[in-house]
Amino acid sequence: MTGILLDGLVQGLQLALLSVGVVFVYGLGGVLNLAHGQVAVSGGLVAALLLQNRWPAVLACTVGILFAGFMALLLDQTLLRQAYARRGEERLLLGIILTLGLSFALDGLFTWRYPNLALTLQLGSPYVRIGGIVVRTGSLAVAGLAVAAFLVLLAFLKGTFLGKAIRCIIQNEVGAWLCGVDVHQVRTLTIVLSGLLAGVAAIAQGFFSYLGPEMGTEFTILALIVAVVGGVRSLTGTFLASLMLGMVNAALSYAVGTYATWIVLLAVAASTLLVRPEGLLAYWP
Amino acid sequence: MLEVRNLWAGYEGTAVVREVDLEVPGREATAVLGPNGAGKSTLFRAIAGLIRPQRGVVIFDGSPIHGLPPHEISRRGLVYVPAERELFPQLTVLENLELGAYSSPEGLRSRLRLVFDLFPRLAERRGQRAGTLSGGEQQMLAIARALMSQPKLILLDEPSTGLAPRLVAELYRQLEVLQREGVTILLAEQQVRAALGLCRRVYVLRDGRVVFRGAASDLWGKSELRQAYLGEPRGMESVGGVAGG
Repeated sequence: MTGILLDGLVQGLQLALLSVGVVFVYGLGGVLNLAHGQVAVSGGLVAALLLQNRWPAVLACTVGILFAGFMALLLDQTLLRQAYARRGEERLLLGIILTLGLSFALDGLFTWRYPNLALTLQLGSPYVRIGGIVVRTGSLAVAGLAVAAFLVLLAFLKGTFLGKAIRCIIQNEVGAWLCGVDVHQVRTLTIVLSGLLAGVAAIAQGFFSYLGPEMGTEFTILALIVAVVGGVRSLTGTFLASLMLGMVNAALSYAVGTYATWIVLLAVAASTLLVRPEGLLAYWP
Repeated sequence: MLEVRNLWAGYEGTAVVREVDLEVPGREATAVLGPNGAGKSTLFRAIAGLIRPQRGVVIFDGSPIHGLPPHEISRRGLVYVPAERELFPQLTVLENLELGAYSSPEGLRSRLRLVFDLFPRLAERRGQRAGTLSGGEQQMLAIARALMSQPKLILLDEPSTGLAPRLVAELYRQLEVLQREGVTILLAEQQVRAALGLCRRVYVLRDGRVVFRGAASDLWGKSELRQAYLGEPRGMESVGGVAGG
């Protein structure tokens, strides 16, 4: 049982890596990025391709993560530009349509070009024993990756002036402009950051089991569930919701199988919203 | 310091502000008066770059600024304090002030001290979240945040909005201190009396056009002028008589 919970915790961390990007881009830009999962998958696939060409694993993964960041940048500079030119609901709606279209296109491209490509990362020994508990080394690696990524993110948000700018834009875009913050520039930077974190999540998936070309939509939906449950504007809420859903996911996969797990996950999300319509934590702490 | 020539501005093709000429001399306070809906806020938003002027020229400190993005205008020393204040509600008073100095973070400590001297109440509440402050305190914070960037000119849009008369008087005393210290102020106001006490030069806006320009003293004594241009009913003379909105 402890093993399953631990697994769930690590899955939760991975989920958080994925969801933070959706929350960031929504909070800063008012755009729901439905191609976020595909951005992650693109990074994972690049890493898998490089591994096939016998690149060293660390280098291949790093390039994969950077590629996801690059994809996000490309998305920001092309499609999202159109959305940002509009305001409010119109922007949200156009963003949804554009990114949904992109997600279909990328899904098609990936499964057509690379139907059998998959990222799997294996470490020297599959299991280690820590204090009497058997732990998968893959899980440890994911936990390490995720915690490192979050520490960097936290230090960036709290410690730098740019991080403060991100926090202030989420709260009040007009206020940020008035303070001399170049909102467009910060927004671009943030979407790249989101892409990088999504890339890390894709690599993490490779450690768990495997990452395939068709997994983009699944990633996006998971990230959306977390964002909705956690409160679309709250980073702490995203984090809590990720850990919660990760554990629910792990326990259920063990008890009832993967297919039923999805149903229960969505039910958990829906009932959380019945109790707290704004999400667990509606605003930034 | 600021010169506006033949400015047209509005939303989605319709002009709210038309043919506005305006001049704001340095180290002085200038007022733009007018009834609700006269276009004061639209004019200010166009000057500050939040909306792009449809036509016309805005020259600040010797160079044209119309068409520049708002952060660029703010960095050049023209800072806009909107009636909505646009604070960061979940951040503390101190964090709000720090963000005010975003474009020029050096010398932050000494500027904080200056701002806290001017608004001692903000010093008391420095750790409190901006969203939990009272209306008057939020207005002070909005002005203080603008001052943190050491602006050359500050655009104050209806600073008395939602404030009790006693607080309006206090606020205007603080604005007087600012103005004496050499900050140029352009003020939009519905509270005619309060504004006339502070400003030397006055513009009256009605239906998007300038219908009066001149010395405050010219408008001061003429209640029929004030009635005609500002819609102020006869006998409405007290500072707190008209609630802003």
